[in-house]
Amino acid sequence: MIVPLNHILLLSGLLFSLGMFCTLARRNLIMMLLGIEIMLNAAAVGFVGASLHWQQMEGQAIVIFILAVAATEVSIGLAAILVVYRRTDSVDPDMDAALWEKGGSR
Amino acid sequence: MQPATPLPNSLIVTAAALLLPLLAFGVIMLATRSRHRLSAAISIGAAGLSLLAAVYLLVQHWQMQAPLIFQAVWMVSGQMTIPIGIMLDPISLSMFAVVATISFLVQVYSLGYMAGDPGFGRYYGCMSLFAWAMLTLTVSSSLLQIYIFWELVGLASYLLIGFWFDKFSASEAGKKAFVMTRTGDVAFLLGLVLLWLQLGTLDIPVLTDPAAVGAQLSPGMITLTALLIFGGIVGKSAQFPLLTWLPDAMEGPTPVSALLHSATMVAAGVYLFSRLFGFFSLSPTAMAVCLAIGTISMLLASTMAMVARDIKQVWAYSTISQLGFMLMGLGAGSLFAGAFHLITHAGFKALLFLCAGVFIHHCGTNDMFEIGRQGGRRLKSAVVCTIIGAGALSGLPPLSGFFSKEMILGHLLDSGHPVAFLAAAVGAFLTTYYSFRLIFIILFPRDAGDAPPAESHDGHHHAGGEYSMTTVLWCLAGVTVVLGFFQTPLHDFLARTDTGVQAATPAHHSWLPVAACLLAAVAILQAWFEYGRKKARQIGWVEQIPFLADLFGNRWYLDRLYRYLLDTLVYRGVSRLFTANDRRVIDGALDGLGRSTIGLGRVIDWVHGGMIQYRLMIMVAAVIGLILFIGWGG
Amino acid sequence: MAYQLADFPFLTTLLLCCVAGLLAILATPAKHTRAIKIVSAVFSGLTLVISIYLFIAYDQQAGGYQFVERVAWIPALGIAYFNGVDGFALPMLLLTGIVFFTAVLTCWEMELRVKEFFALIFLLVTGVFGLFMSLDLFFIFVWFDVSLFPMYLLIAIWGSTRKEYGAMKLTLYLLAGSALILPAIVYLVVHSGAMTFDLLVLMEGDRFTPAQQRIAFLLLYIGFGILAGVFPFHTWSPVGHVAAPTAVSMIHAGVLMKIGAFGILRVGIFLCPEGWQYWAPLMAVLATCGIVYGTFVGLNQTDLKYVIGYSSVAHMGIVGLGLSTMTIDGLNGAVFQMFAHGIMTALFFSSVGYIYDRTHTKAIAELGGLSRIMPRATTFFILAALTGIGVPCLASFWGELVVFMSCVRVYPVAGALAIGALAVGALFMLRVVQKTCYGPPLKKFAGLKDITATLAVPRIILASVIVLFGLFPGLLFDMINTATMQLIGLR
Repeated sequence: MIVPLNHILLLSGLLFSLGMFCTLARRNLIMMLLGIEIMLNAAAVGFVGASLHWQQMEGQAIVIFILAVAATEVSIGLAAILVVYRRTDSVDPDMDAALWEKGGSR
Repeated sequence: MQPATPLPNSLIVTAAALLLPLLAFGVIMLATRSRHRLSAAISIGAAGLSLLAAVYLLVQHWQMQAPLIFQAVWMVSGQMTIPIGIMLDPISLSMFAVVATISFLVQVYSLGYMAGDPGFGRYYGCMSLFAWAMLTLTVSSSLLQIYIFWELVGLASYLLIGFWFDKFSASEAGKKAFVMTRTGDVAFLLGLVLLWLQLGTLDIPVLTDPAAVGAQLSPGMITLTALLIFGGIVGKSAQFPLLTWLPDAMEGPTPVSALLHSATMVAAGVYLFSRLFGFFSLSPTAMAVCLAIGTISMLLASTMAMVARDIKQVWAYSTISQLGFMLMGLGAGSLFAGAFHLITHAGFKALLFLCAGVFIHHCGTNDMFEIGRQGGRRLKSAVVCTIIGAGALSGLPPLSGFFSKEMILGHLLDSGHPVAFLAAAVGAFLTTYYSFRLIFIILFPRDAGDAPPAESHDGHHHAGGEYSMTTVLWCLAGVTVVLGFFQTPLHDFLARTDTGVQAATPAHHSWLPVAACLLAAVAILQAWFEYGRKKARQIGWVEQIPFLADLFGNRWYLDRLYRYLLDTLVYRGVSRLFTANDRRVIDGALDGLGRSTIGLGRVIDWVHGGMIQYRLMIMVAAVIGLILFIGWGG
Repeated sequence: MAYQLADFPFLTTLLLCCVAGLLAILATPAKHTRAIKIVSAVFSGLTLVISIYLFIAYDQQAGGYQFVERVAWIPALGIAYFNGVDGFALPMLLLTGIVFFTAVLTCWEMELRVKEFFALIFLLVTGVFGLFMSLDLFFIFVWFDVSLFPMYLLIAIWGSTRKEYGAMKLTLYLLAGSALILPAIVYLVVHSGAMTFDLLVLMEGDRFTPAQQRIAFLLLYIGFGILAGVFPFHTWSPVGHVAAPTAVSMIHAGVLMKIGAFGILRVGIFLCPEGWQYWAPLMAVLATCGIVYGTFVGLNQTDLKYVIGYSSVAHMGIVGLGLSTMTIDGLNGAVFQMFAHGIMTALFFSSVGYIYDRTHTKAIAELGGLSRIMPRATTFFILAALTGIGVPCLASFWGELVVFMSCVRVYPVAGALAIGALAVGALFMLRVVQKTCYGPPLKKFAGLKDITATLAVPRIILASVIVLFGLFPGLLFDMINTATMQLIGLR
């Protein structure tokens, strides 16, 4: 293997923590979604490295799964965010619940 | 004496006499209520046949040596058998005859009195119900059966007192009567149940057999049950302290007052005592209590009658007083004296009430002053019969009341309770006084200027149909005159099966009748002085003492006391407490449980909702902690 | 215990009548209200006929369980469809038949969503019949819940005063009761040593230790007791009855509350006699409290149906008192009182329902003088009130008498208190009668019509039953006696 597993795992870990920071520390639902995407991709990188290290194809198969799931999840998540935005004009995760109830269907 | 089974004839006759009124009740209430004459005919027919049956039975069994009993099983539960049956012995046959006679006469009288009343059919239906219940009560063979029909008699009384139910006071009086007698009946039922548990049976021959009872019950238990059963008697016979329902019961039509509340139903209490005389005499405490309560009731009621303005109320108080007198006689140890006075009293008291009814029917008012002013004295039959009745009540010879009163006074003298005898003498004096007060007020009216008249009953109609009323009056008057002379045959009749009766004949005090008559004469003179003379102001010596007038007029404030107790203890006290408990404590706890569940849900909801990133951070921290734990902790 | 399978499955036929009636109603289009009512009357009449037949055809000499049917359903768990009736169940079946039929006739004038109403009532009564005839614990529980959940809809949709609150409270409270019963049943089955829900098998021998019996009996007593209106778990009853429409009140107070008492008897007392013995004093105390409490609280009420509701609490207290005495007479009196009270309360609610339909008020203060305006309707009301007081020759008297006799022997103080409550009971009933029926007729009610012949039919039936069993109590006591003798004789 050209790149040692440790380096890949390190990259994966760093990416994951970057994604986690993005999710937890941003005041924007879309940025939270981005963060989740980054976390998912970090896990995929880790899987690819593990698959190359132990020469098993399953790892790469899982990456395809992750990509599919991530795509689905992003589409539904964005749709949900759109609904919330339409109703409350805000993508702040800390929004007041009353905003949603008052909003009605717009 | 060993009881025997009655002949089939007697059985059929008795059964017919009992069931015909029941049938009449059913038919009238279900089918013929709107057809007045038919209803009356059915009811009077049944009553008449019962009367014939009573006479037949009396004649047939005049020489009976032993009581006749017939029992069938009404119901079985486990080891307990509840019987239904009839017991024919001299006391029950005499009472049966009395009830049947007066029932029949009053129903005939009602043809005239109640004519034109829209509830005519219902009236006769209830009368038949009463007749059935009372007749069966008199010939019941077990104490439980007596209790059952005792309650049914109370029901009939309730229905008849509140007959004119449009009037609030009438329904109120009916309810009061029922609840007060029910209070006494609670004690009765408790005593009855205790007896049943100890003896295993409630058959009357067993109860009155000293050997059987004494073997299984301790003296304390006998006294307890006797006192409890006596509680029922106090309620039903309107003795102290449960006496205030009877004057209020005068809201009912006068024939009802005559039948139920003078002659028969209230007499059921005294009859029960006579029935169970053997049982009661086993407990000296109970006899003493009986004597005491009888004395108190007699005096109390007499005082109340002295100031009453309503003619029916006077006779109501008089009934209470006379029932107390009977209980005094029984309590002093003489079965025959009490029973004989019961029989004679039924006759003359019913007579007095029916005469009052004639007055009310014609003058449209119950107030005796008004009746006098409206020319009551022109109603010759009523006046003469009232005088006869009052004479019997006062114990004037040769009327029936004289004989029975003398017997009781004699026994009281012999019984060793001088206080009781003196009280009885005072009571007799007062009785004569208030009876003749009434007569003189009616005979010699004064002009208006008095207080407004006592309220009369509406729902009652025009004059008319007098023939039926006056005939009955003369019948009863005749009975009153003649019955006294039957004392010895009756005594022998009752003594045939009950040796206790025979033994208790008092020594003959020849001065007693004379003294009693003198006392009565003095009372009449006083009444004449205060009410009858030309110049009399018609204000009694009692009425001139305001304190006494108020006390007697307000029934010794008993009513106020009961009202107060009822309102404070029951309504405002216990009832309100329990309701508040229900609403605030029990329901409050439940609703609180419901609310706290919702509250808990809200708390959990708070944990879930809100800023999602905080929750995510906690999740991440937890996962990291887990990894560290697994990784380094092992 | 030995039993013989029946030749003809009458009991299942009875259930099928209810189910068939339900299906027939569902099949009828909603707008043909008259057809729906006739169908209901026919099928409920059929159930009445069958229950009368069963009552008469029961062989009292032989006793035991008759008309038995058994079909194994889930053998692995020991659950079977097992029906059979004895001297306890038959009066209850008869009661249900009578009350069901008269309740259907009483709502002849209903117009709101008739189809759903009668369908739900049929469902309700199916559960009731099923429970009375079932001898399998699992089915007893299932029928119990089947008869519970239609109550919510019936009260919430067709009810009156505070109906949502009443419906919710009643249903949740009674479900809480069933939540106590299920663990008790499971506990008993698990500890029985044989995986079976069969009541007769579980009754045999000494399967349960006294400690187990005590726990189970307590759970069963409270669980079923909530439905039976045992103090202090009774507060759902007045609220629920007031909120419910007339027919539902009739069935509920008349029959469902008896399921509670019957459950205590059939499951608790049959299976856990040691527990019964242990908890009997508690039962007596709670029952006496119920009697005294119900009477006194009833005195203070201003709404007619509340009065009847509290009177029910008091009468069910008498039933509980009879059950707590552990004597033959006590049990006899309790079951008789269940029957008598059921009929009486059905008559009561039926009369009040009529009065409410015409005057549109249940407040006692607003009523008065009704005897002059509608004499026949008020006669039924007065008759029911007199039965409630315990006037002899009306059915309720005998139950009370026998219970008092047995109670004074075992718990003298409780017996004395209960007898004393009779006087207060008379006051409270007669006060209500006086305020509603007597007195001068009020102008606002002047034009109201008296009860017609068709509407009078159910009330006449109920009144006749009261008088019949009042005059001839032996008819019922003999039947109940066969079962009691068998039960107490075994112990």
